[in-house]
Amino acid sequence: MFFSDEENSASRNFIITAVIWLVVGMTLGLTGALEFTAPDMSTGIAQLTFSRIRPAHVNTVAFGWLSMANIGIVLYIIPTLTRSKLFSNKLANFVCLLWNLAILFGGLCLVNGYTEGREYAEYPVPIDVVVIIGLLTLSFVVYMTAITRTVKKLYVSLWYMLGAFFWMPIVYFIGNRTFIRLDGLNDGIVNWFYGHNILGMWFTTLGVGIAYYMIPKLSGRPLWSHSLSMLGFWTIAFFYAPTGTHHILQSPVPEWLKALAVVFSVALVIPVITVLTNFCMTMKGNWWQLANNLPLRFVLTGAFFYFTTCIQGPFQATRSINWYLHFTQWVVGHAHVALLGTFTFFDFGAIYYILPRILKRQIYSVALARAHYWFTLIGFLIFFAAMTIGGLVQSAGWHLGIPVSQWGLEMPPYWVFRAIGGSLMWFGNILFLINVIQTARGVKPLNPPDIEPAMSPAKG
Amino acid sequence: MNSNNKNYILPAIVILFSFSMIMFSTVLLPNMIFKPKPSEFAVKYTPLEARGRKIYMKEGCVYCHSQFVRPQDRDFGPLVMAGDYVYETPNLLGTIRTGPDLSNEGGKHPDAWHLAHFKNPRTVTPGSVMPPFVYLKDDEMKALIAYVQSIGKKRLVKYQRIYHPDELDKVLEKRKVNVDSSAAANAGRGIFQQNCATCHGTHGLGNGPNAIAIGKKPANFSRPFYKDYDDVTWFWRVSEGVPGTRMPQWERLLTAEQRWYLVAFLKTIPRENEVYPKAYENLNAEKWVEQNIISEKELNSQKPAMIIETKGPPPAAGGGH
Repeated sequence: MFFSDEENSASRNFIITAVIWLVVGMTLGLTGALEFTAPDMSTGIAQLTFSRIRPAHVNTVAFGWLSMANIGIVLYIIPTLTRSKLFSNKLANFVCLLWNLAILFGGLCLVNGYTEGREYAEYPVPIDVVVIIGLLTLSFVVYMTAITRTVKKLYVSLWYMLGAFFWMPIVYFIGNRTFIRLDGLNDGIVNWFYGHNILGMWFTTLGVGIAYYMIPKLSGRPLWSHSLSMLGFWTIAFFYAPTGTHHILQSPVPEWLKALAVVFSVALVIPVITVLTNFCMTMKGNWWQLANNLPLRFVLTGAFFYFTTCIQGPFQATRSINWYLHFTQWVVGHAHVALLGTFTFFDFGAIYYILPRILKRQIYSVALARAHYWFTLIGFLIFFAAMTIGGLVQSAGWHLGIPVSQWGLEMPPYWVFRAIGGSLMWFGNILFLINVIQTARGVKPLNPPDIEPAMSPAKG
Repeated sequence: MNSNNKNYILPAIVILFSFSMIMFSTVLLPNMIFKPKPSEFAVKYTPLEARGRKIYMKEGCVYCHSQFVRPQDRDFGPLVMAGDYVYETPNLLGTIRTGPDLSNEGGKHPDAWHLAHFKNPRTVTPGSVMPPFVYLKDDEMKALIAYVQSIGKKRLVKYQRIYHPDELDKVLEKRKVNVDSSAAANAGRGIFQQNCATCHGTHGLGNGPNAIAIGKKPANFSRPFYKDYDDVTWFWRVSEGVPGTRMPQWERLLTAEQRWYLVAFLKTIPRENEVYPKAYENLNAEKWVEQNIISEKELNSQKPAMIIETKGPPPAAGGGH
């Protein structure tokens, strides 16, 4: 499976293993959420303690699910946009194997307490090395594919994807360099440069690139404005990288660095507005298509959450609002609306569209896919509301100077609702895993292909 | 390279240039020009504490506990400075507080408390969501406690030592205000009317005009509870304010002298339902008037009218309200 040279085999392998990691990561997250409602649940089991599960959850969903799903989708999209073959499926498959081993051993290391201790960069050195090798190999494959293309002009998705594959190896390297020892606060600055840019220069650029491909493709309408999309790309390229320091805005790091972070964070409104304007104008007069086009519904729900997260983000980064909201569960809600609400939904939509085309088979069950959509959406909304409101309760507690032991007593309802929302999402994604596995196994589809035309290979 | 790609050389150069510029300004530049010198509070860890720090990192404490005090935080002790973090690698700043900030944790609780808290947090902090760390071995636990006790301890000693018995005498010696004098009480009355009366009322009964709009009602100083306050407790309470209410930290707004005047005034507020002070029981009213008769000369002097030095027992203020 991992040594094949078949066309799109790398894309298939990345996507299917990513879905498995999604369920693993969500199980870890759900365990953590349940531990908030019953903290003594894990008594005596070191590996199940919340503080060890949390990094494992974050890294598994970020590198196991989201990165691998994005890569899988990108490895399908790039050859179609360049009208050429992927430079080497063999190399990409090799990276897929390496990456899966890295996520597996990385996760085991983290729950057993072998960690580097920096947020988002917890994986121990050997895992980092493997990830870097994988990233560089993939960059090589992707760039070689782009250079040998037969289409003259680069579509905007390609800009985003090529950009991401240029930035990510550098950002990952800087974030995980352990051989250069930096003093406390400098270590923090570099840590958050990495911690934020893994979102900005990797998940956002790949995610938006995928959405730019999926929306015109699924709706059958051309992109509204190519120049506006280029404006979005260039502003994201300029404005995203210096924003990391807004994670430590009230710590004693240099003021000019904080000012830089705040200004560029607010400037990020520009790419967001251009991207969303473009999406909405492309969809203008076509919203009826959401009724029987599930992948499109996923992508546009993601676009809606992209709006939510990116309106929250720039304002949250300003000093006065950060002053109030920092350190609370609001931020957890914000992080999830970006990675789960937006980019995961983009990927769901893309996978439902791409998997039938790679496997040349219809998706196993439309009903399961629709249930997946609603379980994930409703679960996520409950989760998001619980985290946001709970975060405001916490901020009020901090600002009245009430001791944690007192306002902590007000939090259980929010922990419970978070666990409820998390369980719904977890269940929805079990359905997703079943659907994907059944499709991959080649079980006979339950529905005729015309119910969801986008989810069968016949169309497009 | 075919001709298609030549059009993209310029954009590629722009991307390379802009990204390297950003790298320079946000990664290299801060590390080149931001080199804080170790402050007097930077902690060089002993081997045991260093081991404890590793366990702190390994157990992921940083995911719920931050290690920097922000200007708006109350009750977490003095602010941190850049120089305090020189030996803190990898950084444990943290970005979320599900639990309290730990930058000044050292010395706040005894070791036995920490041990009980790590084994089962709910035994000492009801309602806590901290996971129990029962599986830590005894030596690991010892190291972890040693580390937690070392965080910010120096900072705490420097700034909050005034309430420590050793330092208190010196502080009281330096104090210029005689809190038992009625002159100081009268001076305090003025400060009280300007700053406190809007909530606590002119007589300190907690019935000021703002009291109606405040969720947690302001204190009524005539309650017996406040009669147990000694001078230092009054001073501490006025300085620190009351977390969770609108009572501000007057430390930040009033000088130490002004706060001592306030203490002098607050002490004179009589106990509720106390119609007159005990000393009045054996008072001969006529004799008291005779003793305290104010001469014409005294009345016309430049002395502020508010300050009336009585020779007998103090007059009842606000009694019977």
